[in-house]
Amino acid sequence: MQSPHARRLVSLLSRLPGVGEKTAQRYLLFLLTAERQLADDLGRELTVLRDRLVPCEKCGNVAEVSDVGASLCDICADNKRDSRLLCVVARVHDLMAIERAGSMRGRYFVLGKLLSPLEGVGPEDLPIEKLVTRVREDGVEEIIVATPPSVEGEATALLVKRELGPTGVAISRIASGVPHGGDLEFADPITMGRALQGRQRL
Amino acid sequence: MFIERVSLRAIRNLRSIDFAPGPRFNVISGENGQGKTSLLEGIYLAATSRSFRTSRLQELILHGEAIASSKLVVSQDGGSHEQSLGIQAAGGARQARVDGKRPPSLAAFAVKTPMVVFHPGEVALSTGPSGERRRLLDRVVLHTAFTKMAEQIAYTRAMRERQEALETRGERATDLEEWETLMVSHGLAVCEARRDASERLSHVAEHAFHRIASPSLVLRVRYLTNVPETEDAYRHLLAASRGRDRARKSVAIGPHRDDLVLEVDGHAARQVASQGQHRAIVLSLKAAEIDVIHAARGVRPVLLLDDVSSELDRARTQALVSFLGEQRGQVFLTTTRPELIESEGLGGGSDRHDFRVERGVLSVAQG
Ligand SMILES: Nc1ncnc2c1ncn2[C@@H]1O[C@H](COP(=O)(O)OP(=O)(O)OP(=O)(O)O)[C@@H](O)[C@H]1O
Ligand SMILES: [Mg+2]
Ligand SMILES: [Zn+2]
Repeated sequence: MQSPHARRLVSLLSRLPGVGEKTAQRYLLFLLTAERQLADDLGRELTVLRDRLVPCEKCGNVAEVSDVGASLCDICADNKRDSRLLCVVARVHDLMAIERAGSMRGRYFVLGKLLSPLEGVGPEDLPIEKLVTRVREDGVEEIIVATPPSVEGEATALLVKRELGPTGVAISRIASGVPHGGDLEFADPITMGRALQGRQRL
Repeated sequence: MFIERVSLRAIRNLRSIDFAPGPRFNVISGENGQGKTSLLEGIYLAATSRSFRTSRLQELILHGEAIASSKLVVSQDGGSHEQSLGIQAAGGARQARVDGKRPPSLAAFAVKTPMVVFHPGEVALSTGPSGERRRLLDRVVLHTAFTKMAEQIAYTRAMRERQEALETRGERATDLEEWETLMVSHGLAVCEARRDASERLSHVAEHAFHRIASPSLVLRVRYLTNVPETEDAYRHLLAASRGRDRARKSVAIGPHRDDLVLEVDGHAARQVASQGQHRAIVLSLKAAEIDVIHAARGVRPVLLLDDVSSELDRARTQALVSFLGEQRGQVFLTTTRPELIESEGLGGGSDRHDFRVERGVLSVAQG
């Protein structure tokens, strides 16, 4: 594939996670041969993507940009959710895994990272202050820390616990059922549901 | 339990080897540099996912090849399973398979076929630094407290994270407490498993030494750790050593400093033991490793004995021959001088299978 156009698209596509050069080429050929509409629609969506979708101002989940007031995600905007219960996760992927299990009736807070000096992440790189403010202002009564059961996930959970100590909120950690060192994203809904129910005081 | 088939591809100078060993004694002979140790290394690789010669597995790949692999068919309880390990030259990734499927972890892979190796370099168990002895403890832990292997991985990770925080942000780093909490909980679990492993080993080793060396000499084997027994004491000690750990760029307290102390008649073996006594100590520890794993798993580990001839001084021959005679499981032994390995010691001729390695090629030896 020598066309500069083709090469550019292949090199862009292969920067996506899980997409190698071969897959990128397959995508390109598919977009060239499938209905034209697909390529056009994709292009249009991608052009406005970053203007339309932003991290939710309250929790860090994916949210539509709002012209009036704060840009909130569906979960933060849903007033049937229990605002007294807050689940702290590392990444949006983890939030989605817990949502798929369907047993979480509260809201979320996405840290975005796990504590890991080896990867250059210290306590000041985590939005701890924002979390403390959220707990204080929204009347949160119970926190479930659902960071993964890796060493970094445990350390992050301990840090969250210490920082939230003064607020007096009850804090629990999701129970195992997720293998040690495992990834919440790959936990099946049954395991996830059990993990949420079996949470333990931290 | 025994290995009924061995297939090696591009392991050191062994381009392609397939053979069916016997269920008891397999004597592999050949001149120096023909591939005897490499053959044992290949078998060990598929059983444990490691080498007993190096921690850099890429070294095992035949020069110029992209992939090396070893596959065993292991017969057990009337059935059989296949386990294999591949190493890639690019990146050095290991690929483990049990009956074609990926095992949940390398530890889960390494417990399938218990194996004990005894090679000349292992005299370092008695003469060398503590690392070899910690590895002995951990090989036992793998079989006696399998789930504790995850504790060790977690401990090491927490220790490295804490050290990084200390070195990049200093003693006032606000997350030191979190990492130290994890070092304490995982570290104590590691110590507990190792203490138990050491107790099991010392019992057998002390008895074996009594028989092998001389009834008048007493070997003592004991676990040594600088980790305090209680969580609180451990945590305080860690917090108190932050300054020193930062300055020295290494962690002073923890199971990574553990040792298995060996004493002959009350004196440190490293300092007082003679050559022959060192060998007797190592043989005793190996006998103990075999016994403890057998007791814990209910199967006799496969025994790999490398280079038996090189050390066949008379004193050792006696001990080794009786040691071999006591082995009831499958044995692979290599030697440059097969004529010195007496079949009587191996429980008679019918239990013995002879092979020969020449320039990386294996053949069945003619009696
Ligand atoms: N990665 C490699 N690729 C090719 N050859 C290798 C590799 N690593 C080692 N060798 C060679 O393999 C040969 C066999 O080595 P090995 O240690 O198995 O011999 P051995 O039969 O045990 O000899 P000895 O009796 O001296 O212990 C040696 O010539 C060694 O140099
Ligand atoms: Mg050799
Ligand atoms: Zn939100």
